[in-house]
Amino acid sequence: MSLSVAVLLIVAASMLALVLAIARMLKAPSVADRIIALDVLLSAAIALCIAAGLSSGRVLFMDVAIGLALVGFVATIVWARVVDRSGDAEDAA
Amino acid sequence: MSLLGLILVILGAALLVIAALGLWTLPDALARQHAATKAGTLSLALLLVGAGLLAESEGWWWRIGVVIVLLVCTLPVASHMLARAAARRGLTPRQIAEARPMEPGSRSDTGD
Repeated sequence: MSLSVAVLLIVAASMLALVLAIARMLKAPSVADRIIALDVLLSAAIALCIAAGLSSGRVLFMDVAIGLALVGFVATIVWARVVDRSGDAEDAA
Repeated sequence: MSLLGLILVILGAALLVIAALGLWTLPDALARQHAATKAGTLSLALLLVGAGLLAESEGWWWRIGVVIVLLVCTLPVASHMLARAAARRGLTPRQIAEARPMEPGSRSDTGD
């Protein structure tokens, strides 16, 4: 009972977060805003992994969450470097 | 145990929505990042602990520990780098110079 309520709550909150983050990504004033929206998308994806693991009872989905957390970290750092470097290139030009 | 897990999951889900609302409503990139990173980290930690209490099986706990340690170690680093890059791109050099006294070598208490 409480398990299915929890799954429903996580999925609903993740969907709302996904909609807001995608809206921000489509209507963002700068590159950094899009990367932050990507970060929120990643958090929602990890939350959906938790919901999938809870509803199916398989612990495998937590491994997916570990992988997502790692990939998101590397992605954000690399995007931050891209934003940094693109500023340098424009200043030099 | 399952009631506590449900409460933690409710709090985590609410915080995830708050993070996304902050992302949508706050005025500039740094404010949005502050909302998204802090609320996002706490909401994921709460969701993970709540899910562990609800699942009640052994295989979950060490994976949940790994994810939480990973998130707490990496999200602040990543968001700091992104905020630094965004500040360099979005602020004028004068605004950055005014915000700089915390960096080593240019502290106001060293006399310069």
